[in-house]
Amino acid sequence: MTENVASGPAVELTINGQAVRAEAHMTVVEAAWANGVPRVTGVGCLEGVCGSCRILLRRGKEVGVALACETLVEPGIEVLFLPPPAAPRHQYELAELSDGWDLQARFQEIFPEAVRCRHCHGCVRSCPKGIVVEEGVALAVAGHFREAGEAFLECVMCELCDTACPEQIAPAHVGLFCRRVTAFFHLRPPNLIHRLEEIRQDPPGGGKEKS
Amino acid sequence: MTCSLSYQEALAAYRAGADPGPLPEPMDPDRLLSAYHPDYLQGSKTTLAVGPNAGEQCQRELAELLQAEAVIDEVDLAGVPVADTDVLVIGGGGAGCAAALAAAERGARVLLVTKLRLGDSNTVMAEGGIQAAIEPGDSAQKHMQDTLRAGHHAGNPALVAALVGDGPDVIRWLIRQGMQFDQTESGDLHTRPAGGTSAARVVHCRDYTGLEMMRVLREAVIQHRGIEVWEQHSAVELLSNESGRKCVGAVLACRTDQSLGIVRARSVILATGGLGRLHLNGFPTSNHLGATGDGLVLAYRMGVKLSELDSFQYHPTGLVNPPLLSGKLVTEGIRAAGALLLNAQGKRFVDELQPRDIVSAAIIRECREGRGIHPSSGGVGVWLDTAGLERSQPGLLEKQFPKLLARTRIAGIDPRAEPILVYPTLHYQNGGAVIDVNGATTVPGLYAAGEVAGGIHGRNRIMGNALLEIIGFGRRAGVAAALSGHDRGPKKITLEHVNRARRALALAGLPLARRAPLILPAYTAPGKDLTFMANSRSKS
Repeated sequence: MTENVASGPAVELTINGQAVRAEAHMTVVEAAWANGVPRVTGVGCLEGVCGSCRILLRRGKEVGVALACETLVEPGIEVLFLPPPAAPRHQYELAELSDGWDLQARFQEIFPEAVRCRHCHGCVRSCPKGIVVEEGVALAVAGHFREAGEAFLECVMCELCDTACPEQIAPAHVGLFCRRVTAFFHLRPPNLIHRLEEIRQDPPGGGKEKS
Repeated sequence: MTCSLSYQEALAAYRAGADPGPLPEPMDPDRLLSAYHPDYLQGSKTTLAVGPNAGEQCQRELAELLQAEAVIDEVDLAGVPVADTDVLVIGGGGAGCAAALAAAERGARVLLVTKLRLGDSNTVMAEGGIQAAIEPGDSAQKHMQDTLRAGHHAGNPALVAALVGDGPDVIRWLIRQGMQFDQTESGDLHTRPAGGTSAARVVHCRDYTGLEMMRVLREAVIQHRGIEVWEQHSAVELLSNESGRKCVGAVLACRTDQSLGIVRARSVILATGGLGRLHLNGFPTSNHLGATGDGLVLAYRMGVKLSELDSFQYHPTGLVNPPLLSGKLVTEGIRAAGALLLNAQGKRFVDELQPRDIVSAAIIRECREGRGIHPSSGGVGVWLDTAGLERSQPGLLEKQFPKLLARTRIAGIDPRAEPILVYPTLHYQNGGAVIDVNGATTVPGLYAAGEVAGGIHGRNRIMGNALLEIIGFGRRAGVAAALSGHDRGPKKITLEHVNRARRALALAGLPLARRAPLILPAYTAPGKDLTFMANSRSKS
């Protein structure tokens, strides 16, 4: 896997304030490892689906956020590994949302900030997956939970949008709420329900599962 | 015969839709596996000298960890703060979350600890789907036969019966947690076949099944009032009672401030996943960074019997290039949808929907016999003909496999226009801790669920059974752990099992210098982060 920085054209960059040298094909994560950069704990899947390796990235005058495992080293960039997102502030349990007619009202109670989106595009710019976050939030506010949830299909819960939002809307959690209520209230697949009913009427031989 | 090609030559010779030729006569499966499967590589195995599996065969890299000294001893525990809980869950992937939710639903106080971020696991990377026999004409019996047959009849029939019986209700439970699945026009759950299945049985959410499952379970755990979560806390050792025969808690190390903590629990559930990051036989892996076999190490030292330690799954279709994605997975769902495997000559060489061990061995055979394709960045592979699939079913890749497209886009490859290069990648630990249908190990107070547990998949797992196992057996272990352990005897916590294991190592003449669990692979330079670990290592 990652070798020590060998000879060859090296890329010089800064990670967590430390000047490091890396090979051109390395990701920012590999460069941090190869140089022994301390306190890089938020690394997980190394393929851009766990959303843990959040970084702040400066290229010249341009500042943005990204996932370190998907970012290749470039000369002169400055990288800062971000702390993990704070615990979610929006509390709900699906089982308590018993009535679908109340759902829009409950959504407004749980996510009161969502309606206050000021369309600053911070969430859209911060999303490493190219999700139309702002549109998704607007769909949720309008009660179109299925469509809103679909917009967040590729969300990896890095919560960079939550970090970027000046209204503290927590768009990633809004998106996940929309996906979850869609399944919870509307996913009733006939083939599954038919099989469950067959099992209920004719349970598999009682003693079979004894160890 | 030899016509090994460079990537550019092979790509230039490739024609989408060209006749891939007839399938050659299949080789006898046993001969194919023993000649080409990495489990059978010369020198890949050793015989364990100590512990509950002494005398049995084990992959060498794992044996080194199972026969290593603990990273702590009694001296380290003086003055360490103690917390109490009913159920301690170690591991924050799908099995850990399912176990925590099930235990909390039964009223237990649950503490879930994970050395990474909650949800950061192999579950989140799973793509293909989850098996449940729900189609007309399919049955739990067929699911059971497929599972046992693909596992070369090494699986425990009682565990497999429990697994397949749980299938439909597991899907209902996931929907109740808020997980979405792809549907047909009429609203049925969409099912796919998989390598080694006799019916279409894999339900899925595009090729993001694991991501969808994990973010839903993660949110459910975070939102549950009965579950406390400690992230960035690695379990460095278990705790036993005076006799060293019962598990009564664990010792944790915080990765951010290097402090130790003790948790006393009525029951402990290991849900620590697998060990792909040991890179057995030098293979790349599809696994996440924390897959270092910690759970097996802790369980073995405590006296838990393990199974199939010489049997690992190499998924046939790991990416070969670009290097940054080396070993990462291309879902079997692509082959289930009709994509073919082609060698450098553009010829088929195996039935793509044979079980994974067979397909992997066949790919290794093609490459070893000079019919592979060599990219300039190193390595070797064969074509997965995604472009041919797109040609026969236009639009399918975009509709059903968005993750593959998103990932290859980074590499500048369009799998709709060209085939992608694949080679087997270390994917899954077929065996693990021996459990009963409640997830109980052979040591009282200690449960195991998910990849760390063994006995279900025999010597080869079929697609979709891992996600089913983590939820089905995660829930089983959670319920059993919540309902057990009501004895309120003296709560003495010791490292007696560590002392016992050390004596066994010394008697067997094994070195005490090596320490385990690893927590993270060496190439992440954990010594820089974990000064506690470094101190501990230099002590003896």
